[in-house]
Amino acid sequence: MLDWLSENWLSIAVPVVLFLATYVVGLWTRRSAYRAFDRWASRAKWEGSHLVVQVTRTPFLAWIVILGAYIAIHVSVLEDSTKAVADKVLAALFVVSVTWMAASLAEKLIRLYIGRVERLRPSEGLLVNIARITIAVIGGLILLDAWGVPTTPIYLLLAAGILVAIFVFRDLLTNVFSSFQLAQGEQIKVGDFVRLESGEGGYITAVTWRNTQIRGLDGNLILVPNSRLLQTTVINYGRPLKKASAPFRFYSRLHLKEVTGLKACDLAELLSTLKKVPGSVIYYHTHNFLEEHQYLTPEPANDFSLWVSDELGDEVLGEKLASIDTFGFPTIAALRARIIGVIEDYLAKNPNGRAASPGREFRFIRSISVVLPTPYIAHDLREFVEVLRKISINSLSFHIFEARLRLQKGVNDFSIWIQDCLGDNDLADRLAYLDPYNYTLEGLRSTIIQLIEKRIK
Amino acid sequence: MVNEVYSQSRSRLQDYEPIVGRSCLEELRILAEELGGKIVQNINSTFVGGGVAEILEHMVPLLNQLGVDARWDVIQGSDEFFEVTKKFHNALHGKEEKISADDFALFAEVTQQNLEEARLYGDILFVHDPQPVGLIARKKEMGRKWVWRCHIDVSNPDKKVWRFLRGFVVDYDAAVFSAPAFAQQLPIRQFLITPSIDPLSDKNKELDSGMIDATLTKYGLTSDKPMIVQVSRFDRLKDPLGVIEAFEMVKKSIDCQLVLAGGTADDDPESEEVLADVRKRAEGNPDIHVLLVPTGSDLEINALQRAATIIMQKSLKEGFGLTISEALWKAKPVVATAVGGIPLQIRNKFTGLLCHTVEGAAYALRQLLNNSEYANRLGQNGKEHVRQNFLITSHLQNYLLMFLALDHPEDIIHL
Repeated sequence: MLDWLSENWLSIAVPVVLFLATYVVGLWTRRSAYRAFDRWASRAKWEGSHLVVQVTRTPFLAWIVILGAYIAIHVSVLEDSTKAVADKVLAALFVVSVTWMAASLAEKLIRLYIGRVERLRPSEGLLVNIARITIAVIGGLILLDAWGVPTTPIYLLLAAGILVAIFVFRDLLTNVFSSFQLAQGEQIKVGDFVRLESGEGGYITAVTWRNTQIRGLDGNLILVPNSRLLQTTVINYGRPLKKASAPFRFYSRLHLKEVTGLKACDLAELLSTLKKVPGSVIYYHTHNFLEEHQYLTPEPANDFSLWVSDELGDEVLGEKLASIDTFGFPTIAALRARIIGVIEDYLAKNPNGRAASPGREFRFIRSISVVLPTPYIAHDLREFVEVLRKISINSLSFHIFEARLRLQKGVNDFSIWIQDCLGDNDLADRLAYLDPYNYTLEGLRSTIIQLIEKRIK
Repeated sequence: MVNEVYSQSRSRLQDYEPIVGRSCLEELRILAEELGGKIVQNINSTFVGGGVAEILEHMVPLLNQLGVDARWDVIQGSDEFFEVTKKFHNALHGKEEKISADDFALFAEVTQQNLEEARLYGDILFVHDPQPVGLIARKKEMGRKWVWRCHIDVSNPDKKVWRFLRGFVVDYDAAVFSAPAFAQQLPIRQFLITPSIDPLSDKNKELDSGMIDATLTKYGLTSDKPMIVQVSRFDRLKDPLGVIEAFEMVKKSIDCQLVLAGGTADDDPESEEVLADVRKRAEGNPDIHVLLVPTGSDLEINALQRAATIIMQKSLKEGFGLTISEALWKAKPVVATAVGGIPLQIRNKFTGLLCHTVEGAAYALRQLLNNSEYANRLGQNGKEHVRQNFLITSHLQNYLLMFLALDHPEDIIHL
């Protein structure tokens, strides 16, 4: 052994010396280069420059060692076949280190940029993994190429795989790209109130890489794929308005008609029966026309007026009864007293009225109201006005007509809530003074919406 | 008693959403939920033929789609029994019928047989029309809620028959009538629920112009002059001769055509005679078209109504008269007499024009023919009126409300 060393010391020493020299020079070069890089990174406006410097610092050492080993092996007396194998091993090590560095850099850059955009944070892990896999696959292919493994079939296989993946996950990919567009545009943020073209509306609770989550007005969660959100018309009303101290729960009301069996042939009978029927009968006959003909021009007459005019042929009294302003009475009892008063006055002066023909008598009907909760709740004026667009006219009737007169609140429900829970006396008064009998129900809905929209702006 | 697995409704509940709106269906679902799984057992006398069967055929599957356990059974009866109930039906309508003591005895006997055989299981027993009315005798033994649904116009009934039936009706928890005028003095609750039309049925659905043109061609009609149409079976109570008279008055100043379309009824031997009279009266006037339309030609009737400029219903007596709602649903201006349930569907000068005489009908026709804008407005108002009040969804809603109200005597029910 000693003999062999004494005879061949030069063939060992030269590679070792060259390896050490390369390593020393490499260290010096690294130190000088990184001083320059650090200065560049400090001056550069690009925030990723520090990451580039930081990530390449450690692999640089490995690259010096690989370079030193490469030089040493090539000046050594090893056989060519051994050198060829050693080259491949060194190339593999180099590719692995570069791949690791590239993956590490990609991860840090993704986290740097995605981390700044709140709505894209949920997709950070996905993007990091996609980058890692892509770089690892590229590194693997280069490695195989270095070892002489035929890679063409792998490329073809990969290309096919990518195409299949794109086809299978096309919706997902569209949504992911759309989420980037949404993030870039910064037009939709968590907490904004939006209304979609389809009529759905609510507050945005989250934007993920796949969909945007909206808390609907009925409390349900609406998931809108990001791609669809970009393709549809979205009205963004921005941040929430002042929150009410208590939410407004929308109810609806449906009517069932119950026949009382009572009827009147002439004015005297009408008068005597009016005095004894329940309030639900008075409510029915003063609101029936409005309910059944809610599409008609405003100012509908009450049933008493129509019957007196059409069946008794008494247009004067009919006109007097039609002119009773229902809105002017806070309770059904007061309204009933007024109707009775008008008929009594008229009868005192005109006692000989005619009777209705058989079959055309006035039949007293009782209105049974069934009040049912809807899923809609409003916490602020924005939600309130959006729910108003959606509720049935039965719900509108309940809160405007029935609450005021039949539930004897004196004022409609909307005004009460706006005053008590939002403290907006001005808007509450405007709604309270709005005479709902002057509108069709759709017209009334539209007028209330306009008043509130104006206030929100 | 037979229970049939009846066919599913041709329409799905969601098919009505574009017509009545989402909120209407939402409210129906809330009401159905409130029934809390109660079984609604409908009982009538037949699965096929007649207005009641037609209503139940649509109504029961739609109730099921809402999650209501609605079922349908029929009573059994001999031909003689149904002859007697037919007489009852006519007598309740005010027609003179000879009804003997034997007829009443037969009714009682068949009722007793059904009481012995009937499987009554509903939480709510919804009994339709007079034939099964006697089943109420089981109420004492089994309790539950019992409702009698009267589909007949009993505004002027034969007193003897009504007195007989009233003995059963007063034991029910409630009765349902179609119009205020049909209601009676009863010691039980009486609800008012109007009948309805199905906007998706052949008789009412939208038609393309090809179908309308083909129907006009088939009956030799042209659309080159205004067309006044009355669709009803040939019956003196529909006053076809009065319609011709009114048309002739109008024709003196306005060039137009009249179409009288309808069928004859097998159970009405007079209808052939009426048809002959109408044809004779129309002879020599090429602008009067008397069309005998076979039973079941719903699409053709629909097409004729859609082709009309004005639709008439100049009945001398009428039940509820759903043909008015059918005409209004097509947004047509309607001239009709103020009889039966017609004034419930037509508010004079708002959703159509009401008349009482031939002269009044002619005047109304002239007003509409000379003012197409006014006619269109009435038609549009009429369509909305039907949408709000006379579609099958309103009918469903009223039934659900009535089922709920059975447990609540108060005026305002909070669910």
